[in-house]
Amino acid sequence: MSESQTLSYALTVAGLHKRFGSLEVLKGVSLQAREGDVISILGSSGSGKSTLLRCINLLETPDEGVVTVAGETILMRKTRDGRSAPADRHQVDRIRSELGMVFQNFNLWSHMTILENLIEAPVHVQKRPRGECLEEAHALLAKVGIGDKADFYPTHLSGGQQQRAAIARALAMRPKVMLFDEPTSALDPELVGEVLRVMRSLADEGRTMLIVTHEMNFARDVSDKIIFLDQGLVEAEGPPSELFGNAKSERFRQFIATERT
Amino acid sequence: MFLRLLAALQVTLSVWALSVFFGAFIGCGVTWMRVSGVLPLEWIARAYIFVFRGAPLLVQLFVVYYGLSSFPAIRASVFWPFLRDAFNCATLSCALCTAAYQSEIFRGALAGVPHGQIEAARACGMSGFLLFRRVIFPIALRQALPPYSTEVISMVKATALVSLVTLWDVMSVALKIRNDTLVTYTPLLIAGAIYFVVNYLIARAFIFIEQWLSPHLRARSA
Amino acid sequence: MDWLTALGFGERGWGPALVDGAVMTLLVSIAGLAIGAALGSLVAWAKLSGARIAAAIGEGYAALFRGLPELLVVYFVYFGSSALLTAVGHLLGFEGFLGVPAFAAGALAVGVISGSYQAEVFRGAFLAVAKGEIEAARSVGMGRWLMFRRIIAPQVLRFAIPGLGNLWQVALKDSSLISVTGLTELMRASQLASNATHKPFTYYVAGGALYLALTAVSDRAFGLAEARATRGMRRETT
Repeated sequence: MSESQTLSYALTVAGLHKRFGSLEVLKGVSLQAREGDVISILGSSGSGKSTLLRCINLLETPDEGVVTVAGETILMRKTRDGRSAPADRHQVDRIRSELGMVFQNFNLWSHMTILENLIEAPVHVQKRPRGECLEEAHALLAKVGIGDKADFYPTHLSGGQQQRAAIARALAMRPKVMLFDEPTSALDPELVGEVLRVMRSLADEGRTMLIVTHEMNFARDVSDKIIFLDQGLVEAEGPPSELFGNAKSERFRQFIATERT
Repeated sequence: MFLRLLAALQVTLSVWALSVFFGAFIGCGVTWMRVSGVLPLEWIARAYIFVFRGAPLLVQLFVVYYGLSSFPAIRASVFWPFLRDAFNCATLSCALCTAAYQSEIFRGALAGVPHGQIEAARACGMSGFLLFRRVIFPIALRQALPPYSTEVISMVKATALVSLVTLWDVMSVALKIRNDTLVTYTPLLIAGAIYFVVNYLIARAFIFIEQWLSPHLRARSA
Repeated sequence: MDWLTALGFGERGWGPALVDGAVMTLLVSIAGLAIGAALGSLVAWAKLSGARIAAAIGEGYAALFRGLPELLVVYFVYFGSSALLTAVGHLLGFEGFLGVPAFAAGALAVGVISGSYQAEVFRGAFLAVAKGEIEAARSVGMGRWLMFRRIIAPQVLRFAIPGLGNLWQVALKDSSLISVTGLTELMRASQLASNATHKPFTYYVAGGALYLALTAVSDRAFGLAEARATRGMRRETT
């Protein structure tokens, strides 16, 4: 796509390939997200959904392809043994600080309180003043419903509370795009709802979100666009009404039939 | 008798403190080489750890104290004023030995940092020294404390060996008293009590440090 | 005489003496480990049984030997066991001094120290044996001795191998301290050789190298034992 077109998107991914040894997990995946888009990425295990997300913030290094965040393209180079690597470490760190990632296993830092978890990156990576970060952190914790747990340690919270704290931590970075890697898969069924509620309110606010999930109903209700990955390629793409109502892809129809909703 | 033994405690504790302290630095260096990813450095580190953990400390002490001084080249060198003193030799040897053990403790602690928490830090844009300082080191430190306290206490016990390289520590003074006065058990019993109390105090100190650093592991009150 | 000859097996070489010393080291370490195993399993059993006095004694024993220097224990056992034996002898009517051979005293010292650590290894290994397997054994009507022999003991050994491998290495190194009793194990042999030839560096390094050889071989042996013992067991996936 043209330069001006990439500039108007919050996030674009073009032709992503990723191999693990001899196994090619992503075989040329592209997507575009406009500002305010909520995109759910669906697929069976092994389809490459998590890998796609992790290639965007370079927790995995794509072998081929271009990632552009808010108009800025991540520069890549080839190493001596032919593999791909980011060209500029600092650019990677900076772009990561503009993306907020929420992990399946929360990954809160166990030696810090919830509040400290929230201000850690804003203070030390984004170099914002501590007072401002603290204020914002308290507000975010109240917003996700755990305002009274600021001085607690992660191990003292339930799974749902920890994940909401993790979402608040991502929000504290004032991200341009939020990435969710199966945020509710590690939670007990009763706790899933509270996390989905928070995510829904973020979507309603107009945040740009990429969500890898198994929650079909949630995906259908909240997303602007659904992307279905199958064996490393985009098999189906479109608004939920179109895909869930009358999908052209046979494999997608099989997929939603077998997935528990 | 008790007072003489207590006075000798100073020697014991000096050897102990200096060897643990310098051993920590050497150990850090060895760990750094071990996890560096540079193969020759890794091999050197692994060889170091194998030798200094595999051979008895007594052998190491004797090699440094008796062995090194047998070379005319060393006696003539700039190191000789340092190496001719038994205290220096003993402390050096103990430091080299504990460094190997400490290095393995550090390595285990680093490996034990949950990978997910490192990823979360990377995903926020942390890298390099910042990542090490704020996330990896604090967590690794807490993981290292229990085995580290065991090693520190082991070193107190190991210092008893310096009695065999002519140092007058608690052990050798106890044996001398025993020889001089022909009192058979009391000197050894008192010496044992002294070591026991010292080790107990060190163990308590570490428990205190561990608790102070780990409010996140204790049950929440209120 | 250059160092190769000195180490060699010729008439004036000290090689054979060092090897003899190494064999003695092996023997006394094995004896020590065995004594430690006996003491350790006893203490582990005491702690696991829940009988408070026995458990307390076990705890005290472990704490005592973890706080005392190994060298001190060697001296104490060496001097003490002879005195004890002499006292017993007097009770039984013997006159004079009864000395305990250095080998026995040394093995006992190593064993007593090792036992305090082995207790923890056995206790942990026992707790790791799945309760379900013991219940299954009970429900097919196995008697307690049979159950112990066929189900519990093999499993406990299986789980204990890594810990025991470590403690074996420790025993090997602790055995060097027995040299103060005069027993000609490897350390003492190196000392005698170095004093006779005035070549301390050569012989202490040679002795060290032999210790390293023993360590390396033991490492391999325990690795093989562990692999063999854990075949068919569920691997922990990281």
